[in-house]
Parts: sequence; C-alpha cells; structure tokens
Amino acid sequence: MIVESRVLALPRANVDTDQVFPGKYLSLISREGFGEKLFEGMPGGRELLASKPGARIIVVGDNFGCGSSREHAVWALVDYGFKAIVAPSLARIFHENAYNNGLVPVIVRDPQAHAACLAAERLSIDVANETIRAEGCEIARFELDPLKKEFLLRGGFMEYLASKVDTVRAWTRRRVS
Amino acid sequence: MTAERTLFAKVWDAHRVRDLPGNNALIFIDRTVVYELLGPPAIEQIETRYGGALYDPRRLVAVNDHVVPAKDSSTAEQAQVLRTWARKRGVLLYDVGENGICHVLVPERGLVVPGSTVVCSDSHTCTLGAFGAFAFGVGSTALAGAMLSGATIVARPKVMRVFVRSRLQGGATAKDLALGVVARLGFKGGTGYVLEFAGDCIAALSMEERMTLCNMAIEAGATTGICAVDEVTISYMRGREFSPGGEAFERAAAAWRTLVADDGAAYDAELRIDAGELVPTVTWGTNPGQSAPLEGIVPHDAEPAALAYMELEPGTPLRSIALDQAFIGSCTNARIGDLRAAAAVLAGRKVAIPTIVTPGSQAVKRQAEREGLHDVFQDAGALWTHATCGACPGLSTGVLAPGMRCISSTNRNFPGRMGAGGRVHLASPVVVAASAVMGRIASPSELEAPVLA
Repeated sequence: MIVESRVLALPRANVDTDQVFPGKYLSLISREGFGEKLFEGMPGGRELLASKPGARIIVVGDNFGCGSSREHAVWALVDYGFKAIVAPSLARIFHENAYNNGLVPVIVRDPQAHAACLAAERLSIDVANETIRAEGCEIARFELDPLKKEFLLRGGFMEYLASKVDTVRAWTRRRVS
Repeated sequence: MTAERTLFAKVWDAHRVRDLPGNNALIFIDRTVVYELLGPPAIEQIETRYGGALYDPRRLVAVNDHVVPAKDSSTAEQAQVLRTWARKRGVLLYDVGENGICHVLVPERGLVVPGSTVVCSDSHTCTLGAFGAFAFGVGSTALAGAMLSGATIVARPKVMRVFVRSRLQGGATAKDLALGVVARLGFKGGTGYVLEFAGDCIAALSMEERMTLCNMAIEAGATTGICAVDEVTISYMRGREFSPGGEAFERAAAAWRTLVADDGAAYDAELRIDAGELVPTVTWGTNPGQSAPLEGIVPHDAEPAALAYMELEPGTPLRSIALDQAFIGSCTNARIGDLRAAAAVLAGRKVAIPTIVTPGSQAVKRQAEREGLHDVFQDAGALWTHATCGACPGLSTGVLAPGMRCISSTNRNFPGRMGAGGRVHLASPVVVAASAVMGRIASPSELEAPVLA
C-alpha cells in the first residue's frame, strides 16, 4: 500500500481535537459531510485546507490530536480525503483512532526528516515497507505498531476483537476460580 | 521470589488476557461506560454489524451526561438512541433526572471498583484512576470493541511515579496540584506514561481531590493517572449503591488494600513535587500547561500564538485581567467538596459577572441543596443549574461568544473549547468564585469581608 499525493503542511504543535472538529458538531448523528467541518475550530483552518486541494497527506506538528477522545477528528480527516498523517508525535487516543480508521499514522521524530516532510510538495509513503520518499529519494523511515499495521493494511480491528470473545470468556473462568 | 511491582503493573497483570504482537496486550475490561454524545457510533456498530451482541451487559453502564436535558432535536435523538438501546439490551441506565457527568456519577454509585479496568469514549475517564483503577479514554470504535469482546488492545504504557511530598497550603488546592503537574511535565510530557501518584501529599487528599488530580493526567498527554488504595479509598467505597455489603465488603476491602506499589518497585521515570511550594494557579494560554501563579504575570516568554488568541500581553498581572463570565462545573471540579469551597467564598457576597454553577451530578445537586448551598449561590446572583457537562465542552448552559473571557473550574482552555472564539482561564473553584465577585481574576484573600444577613 502506497499513499502518494500533494502535501498539506500544518507546522503547528498541540492542535487539539476541538480545533480539528468543534464540539458543537458532536451531536450530529450521521457521519456524512464531516469533511466539511474539518479544522473549522482552528483559526485559519479552512483557508489552509483550501490552499492545497487534492492533498491526501497532511504533515502536522508535535502532539497533534490532543484533548478530547472524539473519533470524529479522524473521521473528518478521512472524510475530507486524507489517507496519511505525518507527525513528530500524536496524542495517544487520536493515534489509536487513526489506526482503527485506516488513516496511516506516520511518526517521524527526527526534526530534519520532519522538516523535509513539511517542505515537500509531494510525498510517497510506502506503508508496508515503512518508508517516505520525496522526488524519488527516501527521506525518512518510520515504524508502525506490528499488530495495528495489519489493521491498516487489511482492516479488521473489530473482527479481531470479535474473534477473541471465547478467549476472553475462558480467561474470566480461570480468573474467578 | 516475585519482583517488586508498581501499582499499575499489579492492575495490568490482573487483567492481561494475553500478550499480543509488539508491545500490545489484550486487556480485560471490567466496566465500560457509554454516554449519549460519543456512545451512539459504538452502539450503531454493535447493532448493525454484530446483531447487538454484548460481552456482558452487566459490565456496561449508560449515562446521559454531556447535554442534559437535550438542547435540540439532534441531542434529543442521541439521548433517545442511548436509552432505547440500554433498555433493549438490559444495560443499567442513568437517564435525565438521575443523570450526572459520568466521571462523577460512576464513582458515587460505587461502579468503579478499586483495582478494576474501565474504558469510556471520553478522555477524562482517567479521573477514575483515583480508585487504583486502570481507567482510560478510547475512541468510539475501541469502545465498541470493548462492548463486544469484554476486552481491548492496549500498548503497555510506561509508568512515571509522580511523588508529591508535604501538604497543600496557602490556598493551593488539588486543582493547583493538577495544574502544577501539567505545567512541570508540559502539555505532552506524560505521553506514553501512566502517572502513578504517590507521597504523603496524595495520602492526605480526599477521594474527590484525588479525582481532580487524576482527571487532568490526560492534559499532560498521559494515558491515565492512578492512586494507591488506602483507608480513604475504602471508606469512600463503604455503603455505595453498588458496593458489596457486610462481610463481602470486608473481604473486598482486604483485597483492595493490596493495591499499592511494592517498596522498591522500579519506575520508567519520576517527577518529584513539593506540595508546599504550590500556589493558586491560573492558566493564561490555550492549553492547560500554560499557567502561572495567580499572583504573577503573563510570562515574558509566552507563546505568541496563544497570547494573540487570548488577547494578552506578556507581563500583564493575571489579577488585572477582566472577565465576562465565571463557570463552576465539570468532571474536574463539580463535586460536593468543590461546591462547598466555592460557596464559602460566595457566602454573603455578590457576583459582578454572569456566573454559572453546574453540579457534577443530580446526586451532588441534591446534597448541595440539603446543605443550602444553592441558596448561597443564588443569593450571590449566580445561576444554579442541573447537572451536565454543559458549558465545559461548549455544548450548552453557558457557551461563550467570540471574544468572551471566562474563568472556569474546568480542564481545558483550548481555542474554542467553550464556544468558538471564547477565551478560558482555568482555576480552582475558590479562585473562580473570588473572580466572579471581583469581575476580574482574583484571589479569595483580597475580598472584603462578606455582608452576612
């Protein structure tokens, strides 16, 4: 699986999920059109999005997705069309939500490599081989969680847990005794 | 001989169904909390894809908490989805009238058992770590996974001991300790860690204060916070609606008493704090790590973007900042002790700005009214509401307009958190109450003597 596209650069640290998807929309039952709300809570957010139509890769700053656990933040990014998010770090719950929704969470801790990703016009992210290329050259490597990488490539977080119900029940019987 | 273990390791080991590839484990979940705002996507997944199958409905609890009562048709529909599902599937439901913020309601009903595991699709689930529980927020999909399988996948976090010695004094409260921890660690300094709180200061805190502290572990990016079980914990659990009674309670309590870190347990990191050095604290910026002493100034090295949003200049004394609204509420600071403390400041005084007091649960509300606190708040000119998350996440009963500045006993001061363009200063309930009286950020110590009837 390779994600290749223009890059939207958002070099800002600590962008919380209220900025990604404002709380006032959490009462929407239908998930349709979430992309239209993306970054509405961030000053200048919608203008930034409009500046890079067609971007499927977003490169963000440190600790992106902090705050509220709302999976809506990831749903809105995915609904807008993003396939991968590149960051020096992601907040824990956002990171998990990304894995569970097929948004590839690419952690690039090295400041120079991260800066190169921010500066790139286009990136190519090889999910299986965990590499990032720009203009044909490898500029960074990253590591995905070995278990959750399977969920990204083949889906199936829920199916995986569903398949473990008997294991869990057997474990609780041992636990009680 | 077994190695010495941290408290977190004991809870982890007791719930580890099996290790999984990488750093992951399948962790059994004792209690899953589902609420109306972020629960319906999980309910929908379970109902449409898995025929409504639940691992064990008795391990679930459903709470109407975020927008109560519903403010429009959309929030009414969410509440209806929750209650219809709960009734159909035999899930314990706290509906409008006996509602509360779930992190307030769940402990007060005895639904968080010391040493247990809890998940909820809310980041402040870490509050329940006060009970020696491994309690953490998850997304709606992971919530659905726990509802279906009784377990979830967790990457084993590292453990940081946060050792707090001495006592809170000079007007500093558990909220100031929480803000102090976040400021010291930084807004993401706890990422990848469980914060295991220890030390004589923690032992001297009430359960409500421990909940306030653990509540804000997420604001340092931590997976959760956790406190050792002691006689304070056990005394809180005694007589709760879902606590065991009689002999069974004593047996349970004996087991709970083992929920402490072993002497000599090794930690991945340590933070040491002297509580005697903590002072009343207020945030000036746009994340909970950006705070300063109430008696201090906006720092000269403050982040420019945060200052621009907050419309503040470096060097400004915090106590000179004029306010448009005060709010006391939320899972951080809306328990009975918080309301008593705020009422003690407001007694015989009048608020100068719109002030909203929202109890954390209907049970807290009723207790406050038995004590006459509602009269104190209303005599002071504050609005006394029903229990809900309400204004804290900018959903109802006190949402800010652009440019409005609010001092708040809540947990987040993000841009737009309490309403688009609104500005939030986080502080303890007593500082919020004093500020409400003065119409600017203020300390209780600077108020003139109250006019008592």
